[in-house]
Amino acid sequence: MWRKSNEVKPSEQPHGARSEESAKAPALQSPPLAPSSFAPTAGPAPASSNLSRIGSGLKIQGEVSGDSDLYIDGDVRGKVQLTNSRVTVGPNGRVQAEIEARQICVEGTVQGDLRASESAQLGASSRVRGNVLSPRIGVADGAQLSGKIETTKSPALETPERENHRETVGAKLESTDQ
Amino acid sequence: MNWTAKPRLTAASGAAPAKPGPTNSSVAAPNCRVSNGLKEFLWLISDVPRCRVLDLGPVWQSTVSFFVDKGYRVSSEDLLRAWKDFLTTEEERLRTAAVGNTGEKLSPSALAEKFLQTSLQYPEQSHHGVLVWDLLDYFDPVAVPPLVDRLSRLVHPGGVVLALFHSRAAERFHRYRIVDAQTIELIPAPTLAVHAHVFQNRELLGLFEQFRSSKSFVGRDQVREAIFVK
Repeated sequence: MWRKSNEVKPSEQPHGARSEESAKAPALQSPPLAPSSFAPTAGPAPASSNLSRIGSGLKIQGEVSGDSDLYIDGDVRGKVQLTNSRVTVGPNGRVQAEIEARQICVEGTVQGDLRASESAQLGASSRVRGNVLSPRIGVADGAQLSGKIETTKSPALETPERENHRETVGAKLESTDQ
Repeated sequence: MNWTAKPRLTAASGAAPAKPGPTNSSVAAPNCRVSNGLKEFLWLISDVPRCRVLDLGPVWQSTVSFFVDKGYRVSSEDLLRAWKDFLTTEEERLRTAAVGNTGEKLSPSALAEKFLQTSLQYPEQSHHGVLVWDLLDYFDPVAVPPLVDRLSRLVHPGGVVLALFHSRAAERFHRYRIVDAQTIELIPAPTLAVHAHVFQNRELLGLFEQFRSSKSFVGRDQVREAIFVK
């Protein structure tokens, strides 16, 4: 199991995983959004020195957690839990894991649930097999999704323990989920 | 089958949309069509609390937003693409099978059964509305009955299925998305599958015999929009 620390030093990273200035990262930008008008837009990542990258050719199996934004262009299996950060799955990224993050942008392939406390974007080349749970969900033309789409009103991420407190856009209190 | 009045799934209160009725126009704009079937579909599920809708076409932002804004929950599964991917995988499996091992080849019905082992995996009675669009026209006719049977099981009693059927082989392949409560947009798309079968009324009634009522609207483009209520 591989747990990433908050600050990843380049010298400590395995080959293919490196921290880099965001200007080089092809991450998706997150616009201010309304649920009904939400549309994913691609663009350069905002300036941030807190971006880690799993490059293509790198395979990781286990749990990824921490506070930095993450760009995945390699293979990840297990669990990705970056609840206060943004996770971007690049066009070459292949993820077999549940992803929990503040923002999730997908241009690659994901098999697993996406839980975003702020927004989830499925790009045109995205292939997602799993459920998408987020207050704001954007779907680009060409995206492929097999799973449930559920908007959650609460900004806090849902966990199984809090499943009974889930609210939908219609402000309906949900007690169970199928 | 009965052409009954709207079945009430619950006694929930709330303003229901106006009762849909046939409109004179079947085409609203280029690539758009006024859909009486969609109006009927929405009306039938309008008072269902925590309504769950399953869209068997590709996922579109407009369709998702349309239902999410209503407070519905949406599931999406591009069934035809999944079928095509499944067939491709099967062909590849046959190609790599040992030479002379003819027993590997599955009949169309066995293929359908195998396909359904990984597709349309939802709990029984889990959805109140299913948008099938015109997908059934593109499946091998032998594969359609088990598929409809699976659909009937995942639909909640009183739930509704909207399906489109071409009266003749479709000239080109389209995907569909919801523009508003009475309009669907036809999106020209690369041909994912060839039109396989034109269903006659009697065939449809037999296919959906597990549903208690049906209703259909035929547009000027000879596309029949059928509503099946379980």
